[in-house]
Amino acid sequence: MSILLENHIVELLQERNDKAISLLYEHYGDTLYGVAYKVVRDEELAQDVVQESFIKIWKKSDSYDPTKAKLFTWLFRITRNTAIDKLRSVNNKSDKEIQMDVSDVYKLGTEGIIPDLMDVQDNLDKIDSKYQIVLDALFFQGMTQQEASDELDIPLGTIKSRLKIGLRELKKIYGSTMVFACLLSLFMN
Amino acid sequence: MKEKIRIFLETDLLEKYLLGTTSQEEALQVERYIAMYPEVRNTYIELQENLEIFAKLHAIKTPEGLKERIQTRIKKENSVRSKFYRYAIAASFAALLFAGASYFFWNQNQNLQEENVIVNNKIQNLEENMRLQLEDVRNQFIVLNNPKTKRLTVKGNNKAKELKAVAYVNPVKKLSYINVSKLPNLPENQCYQMWAEVNGQMLNLGVIQEASNSEKLMALPYGENAVGYITIEPTGGNSKPTIENIVANISY
Repeated sequence: MSILLENHIVELLQERNDKAISLLYEHYGDTLYGVAYKVVRDEELAQDVVQESFIKIWKKSDSYDPTKAKLFTWLFRITRNTAIDKLRSVNNKSDKEIQMDVSDVYKLGTEGIIPDLMDVQDNLDKIDSKYQIVLDALFFQGMTQQEASDELDIPLGTIKSRLKIGLRELKKIYGSTMVFACLLSLFMN
Repeated sequence: MKEKIRIFLETDLLEKYLLGTTSQEEALQVERYIAMYPEVRNTYIELQENLEIFAKLHAIKTPEGLKERIQTRIKKENSVRSKFYRYAIAASFAALLFAGASYFFWNQNQNLQEENVIVNNKIQNLEENMRLQLEDVRNQFIVLNNPKTKRLTVKGNNKAKELKAVAYVNPVKKLSYINVSKLPNLPENQCYQMWAEVNGQMLNLGVIQEASNSEKLMALPYGENAVGYITIEPTGGNSKPTIENIVANISY
């Protein structure tokens, strides 16, 4: 995401111009849908989450403070929290109907992949799975480092170092392609 | 100081802040560290960049129609909002109008009440005046019609030869009146004044209006062997009669 475009979207949001929503959807829609899917693991629920998140983004647009977080961080927070809330409310409902295993909320790994996600899997395969699982637990499953340590049965220190190395590796592998993608999108606009 | 930063980075407060799961207090603490220490700030920026990269790896193509659904919802949201504002504006306008009207009517009511008091006072004064005048007229009527009433013609002395007046005295009813029908003209700074000496006391009966209404009867205080005087005095009247300026006297 170019800084120029990001600033433009932020301006539109602050002016309460609904063009901002269209631009946000074009540039972040797929990523946020992916985030929502990653948490709820259901296409229909993920769509609901994206819809609700965009409405929240629109309603809260004047509360976004660019000095406190990047635009994507703010969007991610809203979407992730909406998705986790959704998952909880669905689980609560189904808990009353069928006694589901609560630990399903924290189901880790990559099982249940739909064909659309094959590309994602290809990309993720480039990261060592031991880092991937830690990143996954922290970013998508809503775990703290301590919880991830307990859940994955990995010492807290190892979680911390894997998070750091995993993130560094992420930058090494994708940092350059991301820059290229940004430049490309800039030319195409 | 370094140790403090290291301990801070050891906790997962910064990660929690990144995901927006800190409490209000924790968020303030993290924001303070970010503002104060470049190391923390850089780590936060790096975390944000990595989050974006990692999230983008999970991007899935959004299904057809989702964008349109979202846009429709947002349009609805906007119209609800603008409708709310429209109603709010209308409501505050109505409230303002009501307040204005209330003040206007209150003010008018206040004015009317004041006017009411004034009018009431005027009516009372008029009633009192009317009652007095009616009584006066009735007394005049009694005196003039009574057969016991003596009619005395008064004429002016050398100083005012043209002066003519008629006095009516009724010893039974103990009432007396005088009608001054003609008065010689006087310079502007002088006027005629009426006096009566009753039981050895000199009473001021006031200035005689310049033959304005010759039909008017002036009441004279009644007394045995009373004497009435007309004198020339400075304009506005005097407190004591000027003896050398007596122009007429009436004994009754």
